[in-house]
Amino acid sequence: MQRSDATTPLWSSVAILRLVTFGFAVVAVFVHQDRYQRPQLAWIVLGLIAVWTAFTVSAYLMKFGRRVAVVWTDVAVTCALMYTSVWILSPQQMEDIAPLITTVWASEPPIAAAVLNGRTAGVLAGVVVAIATGFTRGALTTDVTRDAVLLMGSGFVVGLASVTARRAQERMAQAARVEAATAERERLARNIHDSVLQVLARVRKRGNELGGEAAELARLAGEQEVALRSLVAAAPPDSTDDGTTDLRSRLQVMETGTVQVSVPGTAVQLPETTVTELTSLVSEALVNVARHAGDGARAWVLLEDLGDEVVISVRDDGAGIPAGRLDQAASDGRLGVARSIRGRVADLGGTITLETAPGAGTEWEIRIPREPGGRKARHRMGGGR
Amino acid sequence: MTKAISVMVVDDHPMWRDGVARDLGERGFDVRATAGDAGAAVRIARTVTPDVVLMDLQLGDESGVDATRQIVQDVPGTRVLVLSASGAHSDVLEAVKAGASGYLVKSASAEELVDAVNRTADGDAVFTAGLAGLVLGEYRRMAAAPAEAEAAPKLTDRETEVLRLVAKGMTARQIADRLVLSHRTVENHVQSTLRKLQLHNRVELARYAIEHGLDAE
Repeated sequence: MQRSDATTPLWSSVAILRLVTFGFAVVAVFVHQDRYQRPQLAWIVLGLIAVWTAFTVSAYLMKFGRRVAVVWTDVAVTCALMYTSVWILSPQQMEDIAPLITTVWASEPPIAAAVLNGRTAGVLAGVVVAIATGFTRGALTTDVTRDAVLLMGSGFVVGLASVTARRAQERMAQAARVEAATAERERLARNIHDSVLQVLARVRKRGNELGGEAAELARLAGEQEVALRSLVAAAPPDSTDDGTTDLRSRLQVMETGTVQVSVPGTAVQLPETTVTELTSLVSEALVNVARHAGDGARAWVLLEDLGDEVVISVRDDGAGIPAGRLDQAASDGRLGVARSIRGRVADLGGTITLETAPGAGTEWEIRIPREPGGRKARHRMGGGR
Repeated sequence: MTKAISVMVVDDHPMWRDGVARDLGERGFDVRATAGDAGAAVRIARTVTPDVVLMDLQLGDESGVDATRQIVQDVPGTRVLVLSASGAHSDVLEAVKAGASGYLVKSASAEELVDAVNRTADGDAVFTAGLAGLVLGEYRRMAAAPAEAEAAPKLTDRETEVLRLVAKGMTARQIADRLVLSHRTVENHVQSTLRKLQLHNRVELARYAIEHGLDAE
């Protein structure tokens, strides 16, 4: 599992800490055994500490120990072993603040908890071990307080490190996934270009020349060709961290057999909400063309970035609106759409103009001012080389 | 009719390549050669010196941009017309800057193709609305980029006006009517926008080569 991989070095450190501090515990027993009230019990407990050290070290090194149950059992066992000091150390030793039987060996469980579950768990385990120290000592001395602070502190710091390590790894994994997806997309696009698109284009061309039923097949093939082309050409929506997105890619996918979309070679970054609104305005305008401009009318969408404003033109070569028929146009719903579009453009702080003449089609021009500071984004290259 | 226009078709897909070659052959063009990759395209073009090279930009793993540059440079009198999928924006722009005379999408009809090859052979620029949008965007990008703005070519107001109309799908004829210009004048404006871009590109390449101590070939 990836999750444990990021913290593996930290778990190794936990195991090393446990081994080193076990050495401390052994030395402490050798040094202090003469003055213990129950030296035999001291050796038994040291044996138990050795067993528990062996178990936890192997449990943390092999991944089966890296779970809540094991870590908190570690906390409990360590505290319990520590408490046996009450029967081992003589009252004089307790008074002199001689080391408890577990010595610094008891500092490891809060660190294990921190590595496993982050800083809160680390601090919590630190608190538990600190309380156990307090109980064992039977008093709240400066020594106990200092231990408590150190235990909680190490739990906090190591917890922070472990969370950071995990996050870094997640980010890297995510970046790797995005890269893999992009590479796969490019591979697919290349394949589609090399095979399906060539065949569809050929079918369309040949079918048109043959005419009749073949022309109908050609038309279908042509539609699929255009749809497939815009699908593989459109870059995945690339919202950036500053909440802007590229209007180009949203408009490009509207290209069909009768609609052509012209855009600049570089990204046109605008706030996400503006892009969504403009996209829906343009598709409404195109629906309007399909509905009213007459059969076989074609449409062109042009996107221009002037730096301080963005201009979108939608032109069709359809029937246009005859002069003096604006009233009728209004009543049959045609200008209703115009009015609604106008209101929404005004909401974006922009303007819209409509030019039309009978037989000359219609042309909408939408101008949207760019907010100050948005200009920078303009120079970001989009998919260019 | 005088001598037939000689043509070479470059595309990595045999089915498309042979189909286009046959279509053009049937319509009276002299199809001198075909090529499936960039290297062959440049070699063959040097030998057969066709009037027009129809160039696909996606040649397997290669790009037709460099082949376009090589052919325009090495074979005077040969013009390159890009015939490529729509949507390959940066490639199309690069090919045009490298010297291609125009761009036609593969979904164009046989009539449009014939017309485009004829116009390319005549020395006219062949613009789709999509290419006009890209060229317009490129001039604006250069004007706005502080590092480039000074040396960058600029469009006249008339050229901008004409390019915008091309980008909105109008034909040269329609533009001439709307702006009360001659058809020839409109064509000249369109061509001039391309020429300035290509000249600037050559100057930039040469300067880059000098600055980086490369042999400019």
